[in-house]
Formats: sequence, C-alpha cells, structure tokens
Amino acid sequence: MLELVNLSKKFKHLYAVKNLNMFIEKGEIVGLLGPNGAGKSTAITMLSSLVEPTTGDVRFKNKSILKSPGPIRRVIGMVPQEIALYNDLSAEENLQFFGRIYRLKGNDLKQKIDEILELIGLADRRKDIVKKFSGGMKRRLNIGVALLHNPELIIMDEPTVGIDPQSRNYILETVKRLNEEKQMTVIYTSHYMEEVEFLCDRIYIMDQGNLIASGTKEEIKRILSAEKTIIVKADRLNNTFIDSLKQNPTINRVTVENKTVTIIVPKEINIFQTVLKLAEEAKLELNSVDIKTPTLEDVFLHLTGRALRD
Amino acid sequence: MIGILLAKIKIFIRYPLTFLAMVVMSIGFALIIGGGNGNVINVPVYVADDAIRGTVVEDILNESEAFKFNYMSKAEVKQQIANGKAETGVALYEGDFRVLVGVDSPNVNLVQQTVNGAYSKKLQYEQIYTAANATTNSDKEEVKKELEETIADPIFSIQSANFRGSDAVIINRKLHTIFGFTLFFVIYTIAYNVFHILEEKNNGVWDRIILSPARKWEMYVANFLYSFGTGYLQVLIIFLVFRYWVGVDFGSNFGVALLMLIPYVFAIVALSILITGIVKTVQQFNAVIPIIAVSMAMIGGAYWPLEIVSSKFMLALAKIVPITYGMEALNGVAIYGYSLNELLYPISILLLMGVVMTGVGIHLMEKRHV
Ligand SMILES: Nc1ncnc2c1ncn2[C@@H]1O[C@H](COP(=O)(O)OP(=O)(O)OP(=O)(O)O)[C@@H](O)[C@H]1O
Ligand SMILES: [Mg+2]
Repeated sequence: MLELVNLSKKFKHLYAVKNLNMFIEKGEIVGLLGPNGAGKSTAITMLSSLVEPTTGDVRFKNKSILKSPGPIRRVIGMVPQEIALYNDLSAEENLQFFGRIYRLKGNDLKQKIDEILELIGLADRRKDIVKKFSGGMKRRLNIGVALLHNPELIIMDEPTVGIDPQSRNYILETVKRLNEEKQMTVIYTSHYMEEVEFLCDRIYIMDQGNLIASGTKEEIKRILSAEKTIIVKADRLNNTFIDSLKQNPTINRVTVENKTVTIIVPKEINIFQTVLKLAEEAKLELNSVDIKTPTLEDVFLHLTGRALRD
Repeated sequence: MIGILLAKIKIFIRYPLTFLAMVVMSIGFALIIGGGNGNVINVPVYVADDAIRGTVVEDILNESEAFKFNYMSKAEVKQQIANGKAETGVALYEGDFRVLVGVDSPNVNLVQQTVNGAYSKKLQYEQIYTAANATTNSDKEEVKKELEETIADPIFSIQSANFRGSDAVIINRKLHTIFGFTLFFVIYTIAYNVFHILEEKNNGVWDRIILSPARKWEMYVANFLYSFGTGYLQVLIIFLVFRYWVGVDFGSNFGVALLMLIPYVFAIVALSILITGIVKTVQQFNAVIPIIAVSMAMIGGAYWPLEIVSSKFMLALAKIVPITYGMEALNGVAIYGYSLNELLYPISILLLMGVVMTGVGIHLMEKRHV
C-alpha cells in the first residue's frame, strides 16, 4: 500500500532521515520507534506529502506521491505530534471546522461529531474551549479531528505524550479497535516500547536518521536471542568493578546508568558467579543481580549502546 | 472557505477585547490630541472702518472653520497679541486689511489668505452691485440675496479645480488627527489578524488543511477577507463615532471618505502579508509591527502634516508608505474637495502597493514552508 524508497531528508548539514526504506500493507499497524531526534516525525511528514524529501521516493498504491500527492492525502488521517487545533474554539467547533474542511455537512457532520466525541470521551466537554482543556484532553481531540473523514490510513505521531496511564490505555485500545473493526491501517510513532509492543504487528526502529532494525516483534527480539541481559544493581558502584566487567572477555557489552549496570553476554555463558566474584574483588556491595529476557529496549541498547529513553 | 471564515468570525466575536481596545484607543487619541472645538485657532479682530460691517467680509470670516475671528477693540487686539494669547490679529478697513503678527507661524499666512479671500469676494460683489446699478442699501440687499440664491442653485455648474499655491495649505487639525490615528491604529488590528496565518502554520492547523480537500488559496482568501473585514470595521466604527456621535464635520462627502478607506485597508492587509512572509517567529513579528506602524505613521504624516516636513529625504520616504496615500485620499475628500480624477492617484498607488505586497508576501510564505 505504502512504500518508502531510499528516503532522505537533509536540513543544512544534518540528515534527519537517511536512506529510509519501509513498507506498510493495508490493515497493518506499523510502529516507528526511536528516541528523540531519531527522525520519526520527519519521516512521517514526508510520507504524508507535507514535506518534500531531499532524495528518495514515497509510493502510494504504486504511484509516487511526489508528483501527485492527491491520492494519499485523500485517505490520510494525521495526528500530528504538536497539537493542531484552534485553541479559541470549543471541542465541538473544532470538529465542525475540520469536518467542513473535509466537506462534511449538515446531519452527516453532526452525527460524525457526536460519534467522535463519544469515541474520545469528550462528549460532556464538547462546549468547552480547547484552551481550557487539560493536556490529555487536547491530545484526545487532536486524535478525534483526524478521524472525522474515516481515513483509510491513520498516522499518529507520539499521540500519547503527556497523557495519564488510564487515557493512554484508552487511546491504545481505541487504535486497536479502529484497526480491527474498520480495517484502518495505522502508522504509530512512539518512544514507548510498551505501546509499540502492545499495538504493532511490525516495527521499524530508527536512530539518528538511520533505520537500525525492522521486522515483527519476534524477529526483532530474535536479534538478541543469542544473548542475554543481566541487570546488576548497587548503591555505590565503583570504577574498579565496571572496568573489570568491561575487561572480561566473555562479556559483549556493559552499560552503566545511575546505580544500574546492564551486561549483555552470549546466551550460553553463566556469568552469575563471575559478577559476584568481581563485585567482591572490587569491595562492592550488590543489591541485586537479575537475568532478563530481552525486550525491545534491550534490542535498542544492543544496537546503539544507548537507552531508548533519555 | 466559508467554514474557515466562519471559524474566524466566531473567534473574533468570542474575543473582541483587542479589537475594541484598538477602536477606543484610536478614538481616545484623536479626541485628546485633535481636541474639541477649543482647537480652533483664535484670531482677534478689530474693525478700523465701520463701512466693513454687514459686508460679505464679515460673513466669510464667521464661516471660517480653521479660525475663530473674535471682534474686539483695537487695544484689546494689541494686548492679546502682546501677551501671547493670540499669534496674530487682523484690522479691517473698508477696502483693505492689516495682519498684525505677534509670532511668526504658518498660521499667519493662512489668516492672511482667509481674510484676503473675503476681501476679493467683497470686491466681486461690489462690481456686481455697480453693474446692477444698485446704489441704495436696500437695493444692495436685494441683489445680494438674489446673488446668493443663484449661487446656491446654479443654472449650470462649472467644475472648478482648486488652485493651491505651495504656501497656501489648508490644515484642518481636527480631521487630520482623526485620520492619522485611525489609519495608524488599524495597522495593528490588521497585522495581528493576518498573522494568524503564521500561527496556523506553526501549530499544524495549516498542515491539516493541506491534507484536506480544501485548497490552500481558500485559506489565504479567508484570512484576507477576515483581516480586511475587521480592519474596515474598525475604521468604519471610528469614522461613524466621530461623524454622528462627536459631531465632527467630515466635509460634504462622508460616504466618499468611507470609500477611500477601502484601498488603504487593502494595502495594509497586503503589507501585513508581506511582513508575515518575512518574519520567522512570533517574537520577531511582535517586535517588528510596532516599529513599522510607528515609523510609517511618522513618515506618512499621520501624526503631523507632511506639509511641515522639509527634509527631502523624509518626503521621498513618504512616497513609499501607504499611510501617505491614505491620508492624501482622506484629506482630499474631506478638506480639499478633490475631484474623482485627483483621488484616482492615491487610490491606484494603494491598490498597486496592495497587489504587489500580497504577491510577494504569499510567495515568501510558500517558499519557506517546504
Ligand atoms: N525544520 C527543521 N529544520 C532543521 N532541523 C530539523 C527540522 N525538523 C527536524 N529537524 C532535525 O531533524 C532531526 C530529527 O527530528 P524529528 O523531529 O524527525 O525527530 P523525532 O524522531 O520525531 O523526535 P521526537 O521523538 O523528539 O519527536 C532532529 O535532529 C531535528 O533537530
Ligand atoms: Mg517527533
């Protein structure tokens, strides 16, 4: 349905997106995962025809959207990362405005607005001015506006930032339901692993403009299948301990964050005893040592050496 | 497009405060600075020859809008000039007059001009009396009456162009101030409304519209109409308040004066589009607008008449500022009695400026967005 071919975007000297290749099939929920500045939003604005790529192509139903953006625009529902609403209008008036823009009129429009207000849980706040909404309510309306015209393809750019867990779950459920009931194709951007893990069939992971991994959840986790992760916690980590870990030839990777050391080793190695021994030698009191099954977070860590979230 | 316009009007009605503040400020400043009737310049007069009494000279002087001729004794006139209560006084003789100058100011010339005009009229009348063989006073009265009736209801009218020498400017301070502040403050209203485009572009509403079946030009046109509408509404309210509430005399062509505001408001909308196309952020815009509005008002003669500006450079600058032409068109209608032909000049310059600035402004906005 949608295909990104060697897509790049360069701002002055910085490649926000570099040689990105992606495809999205009808009815899929595809996740685009990456830390701040990975280039997710840039990729999304290019594939929705809002920004022209520096090089590369976006093909929708086998036709380039660069020359004729019409077809993709007609089916897209866009939930931008920044809230794009009229702050001085009420929830209902915003929906009316954007509905009219989509040529909805009269009873159709009214019904649609009721339906969406119900869906995003703002039916009882419909007359309130957006300016006075909480951040989460604005986010929900931001999503609602994108659903007015029954889009075939909905693109959501970090739609749950700053939303409490309850609303967040509600939104995630809604997205899933839209996908299942209305066969909406979804492109979902986030830097929350759990969301992507919950929602998506396939995942693309980006970092600093580059695609660093892609595939189904299982495929991606299999990247780590040859390895395992050990989390070591200690209140007073010292360098002797960390250095000795790093110098240990059986350990693939060591990362330190606050009071936590994450160690990645080949699956067959039993590192547990070694860690305890090294700690004792470094006169370090350990709080805990855990062996973890890999998560997407670990995949990211493995691929980039950095944690996904700052 | 109607939908876009409706949304804007809704917001306008919901938050009318800025708009009202601008209206009140324009009216307030014009009232304070332009003054009430007290602003008419006082000119003491004494009659040196009684033969002048009851002639057309008295009538004309009494009708003067710019000056209030106060009749008093010779001594009082001299005293008023001596202690600075009046800049200038006048002594009226039968066929001649003296202007007594206390302080040399542009007003002296204008007083002289006004009185001179009255005496020419008197001379004219006298020639007519002679021709009509009117010797007695009652004869004269009759001829005069007939003359006035004829003038009021001419058989055929001759269009006459006003000849104004370079030192013979008529400055109506009250009207000038009203025009000046009206044209000045409306810049803010219009600019901030046009600026919505940039806000919509920054907050993503514009992107949503681009993805929708609505066309981009609809956004531009709706914004243009809205900015124009609110701008025009503002100047209209101000003029109506002065005309019907304060009771200021806008000359005989109030309707034409209102029409003259159209090309000006159009040009200011266009200027705002140009500025919006150039600036990059809200902060820049907020910094730039007052500078542009104030300097344009100064250069274009909204605060003081251009006639008192002597710097060639400033006068050249005035030629590129829309406010100059707005003031010219309004003064032309209300004070100088410009003919349509004469009005066409400032109108077409304003329209031309408007078209060019709109074009360049939209081009800049479009270029930057991609
Ligand atoms: N208009 C722009 N001009 C210059 N640089 C830009 C522009 N837009 C984005 N960038 C840069 O491109 C890179 C990618 O930005 P992008 O917004 O796509 O990241 P993101 O993955 O969406 O991040 P986040 O999770 O914070 O939203 C960043 O380094 C950013 O500074
Ligand atoms: Mg982003």
